[in-house]
Amino acid sequence: MNKVIFLSAALLGAAHATSYPLTLTDDLGRKVTLKAEPMRIVSFLPSDSETLCAIGGCGKLVGVDEYSDFPAQVTKLPKVGNLYQPNIEAVVALRPDIVIVSKYGDLIQPLTNAGITVVAVNPETYEEVFSKTIILGKIINREAQAKALIIQMRRDIAKVEILTKNAAKKPTAYYEIDPTPYTVGPNSFIGVLLTKAGAINIIPASLGDFPKISPELVVKSAPQFIFGMNLAAAKARPGWNTIPAVKLGRVVEDKALDQLLSRPGPRLPQALAGLAKVVHPELFK
Amino acid sequence: MSAAIAVSRRLALVSLPTLLLLAAALVTALLAIGLGSVPISPAETLQAIGHGLNGAELSGNDVIVWQLRLPRVALGFLVGAALAVSGGAFQAVFRNPLADPYLMGVASGAGLGATLVIALGLTTLWLPLFALSGALLSVFIALAIAREGGRLPPARLILAGVVVGSILTAFTTYLLLQSEDRIRQVFAFTLGNLAFAGWPQVGRLLPYVLIGGGVLLLLSKALNTLQLGDLTARSLGLPVERLRLLVIIAASLCTAGAVSYAGIIGFVGLVTPHLVRRLWGADYRVLLPVSAVAGGTLLVLSDLLARTLTRPAELPVGVVTTLLGGPFFLYLLRRQKT
Repeated sequence: MNKVIFLSAALLGAAHATSYPLTLTDDLGRKVTLKAEPMRIVSFLPSDSETLCAIGGCGKLVGVDEYSDFPAQVTKLPKVGNLYQPNIEAVVALRPDIVIVSKYGDLIQPLTNAGITVVAVNPETYEEVFSKTIILGKIINREAQAKALIIQMRRDIAKVEILTKNAAKKPTAYYEIDPTPYTVGPNSFIGVLLTKAGAINIIPASLGDFPKISPELVVKSAPQFIFGMNLAAAKARPGWNTIPAVKLGRVVEDKALDQLLSRPGPRLPQALAGLAKVVHPELFK
Repeated sequence: MSAAIAVSRRLALVSLPTLLLLAAALVTALLAIGLGSVPISPAETLQAIGHGLNGAELSGNDVIVWQLRLPRVALGFLVGAALAVSGGAFQAVFRNPLADPYLMGVASGAGLGATLVIALGLTTLWLPLFALSGALLSVFIALAIAREGGRLPPARLILAGVVVGSILTAFTTYLLLQSEDRIRQVFAFTLGNLAFAGWPQVGRLLPYVLIGGGVLLLLSKALNTLQLGDLTARSLGLPVERLRLLVIIAASLCTAGAVSYAGIIGFVGLVTPHLVRRLWGADYRVLLPVSAVAGGTLLVLSDLLARTLTRPAELPVGVVTTLLGGPFFLYLLRRQKT
């Protein structure tokens, strides 16, 4: 099935070819012009590295940031530091045609000064995962593959959603991203996946995407699942032993899943499936 | 002479400001127990307190009142009191109104300890121990460096404290950059956090405050004498250096305890003794106990604002204390000039 899609995508590729010079507005609101199809790319975002590889651009990557670790090919590439501690000299030495960065960190100036084309492609929300995939496809002349990837991702997501939509009961859930405590609102990237996995986020959307919340709210909302921390830590918090998730041992600390959920890229359907299997194990027998 | 001082002291403690302060403390505590991100009626709140006191099975809002809010108020009060008393004591010992509980690198040391726990990925249950060790370690390093013969000159102590603090902060920053996904957690610690105050934490902090604060209260008469200058104090038979050392250790104990359980909360320790000095005078026998009550009240009030202004979201309490305390301090500074 996958093969068929990619084959047709490859055939369509000719019709979808990007024409260079290509001018686009990046995520920092800058107009960037690419003179020709980039052949040497450095990526500073793990999710962008994953997307580039998923649309057939892995061979063009000549360097990645230290957190890029998927797919395996990427781990063999030279590391160029990270957004906040970049190794500019190493980037320059790789003679990239473009460097893909985030809107965070201040990489634009030093790299531009070094005569390198820089473009910020920074997926943050759920829908941006798809729109940025298209942009990356355009940039590297793989737009057809990008579209095919999106169709495949949407299909895999729909498969999970069809199951969870009809779930008899939707448990409430709390997802903690750090223990001070910060959590995710329903409109954030993780929040959307939580909803699609058939859970009800206890956090009201009005609080924003990544609010610092009162523990009172969690105790009051009595979630049936808690993600992002372990049972012992939850038990240690005053009053939390009265929360159903803690009583029933449904406090889920899954580092691999958390890692997947922190990557707004092509493995989004896997992240969703992982989440849905925890929330609704009965649907995945 | 001493009889006159005793009378004036008693007058200072039963004055109108004292009554107002006690009233403010009471009202603040009641509000802080009654208000929060989850609305709970006063009747229900009283009921919950009753259930808690009777050791009854807690459920629903009882849990929030008895296990979250009450200990949060109690811990906030203890932390505020500890910071204010040690602030007053530091100001006395250095005869410097800018001294605060974090002067000796206490905060930086505690911050480094906390960062280590978080960077090493240890459970946060280790946090108090590491923060406390870091705080005390930084104080002892500063003391060792500042010591000149048998003496501890205030200017050298401040310098040593500031530099030790800077070095430890540099280590912290380095560790943070190595584990950037945890930056926010440490950052939140440096802003102070009372979110997970529970009865066990209150019980564990209490000894620090009682012992450290108790020693400081016992030494308040000597601190008064110290205000006359080292030479005069020495000629009056006061062991100035030993006193200074003892006060620093007692105040650091208070501070380290507070930092371990609530993170680094700015301005309470600096501003409270100032405020108290203006209204009650500079007699440390009055200043220290009044500062404890005022500091506790200030922090409970700040925490109340932190968790209600944007409810059910929360602000970091250190942001509120600094926004309340900072401008007030500048106002004081401005008034003293003219």
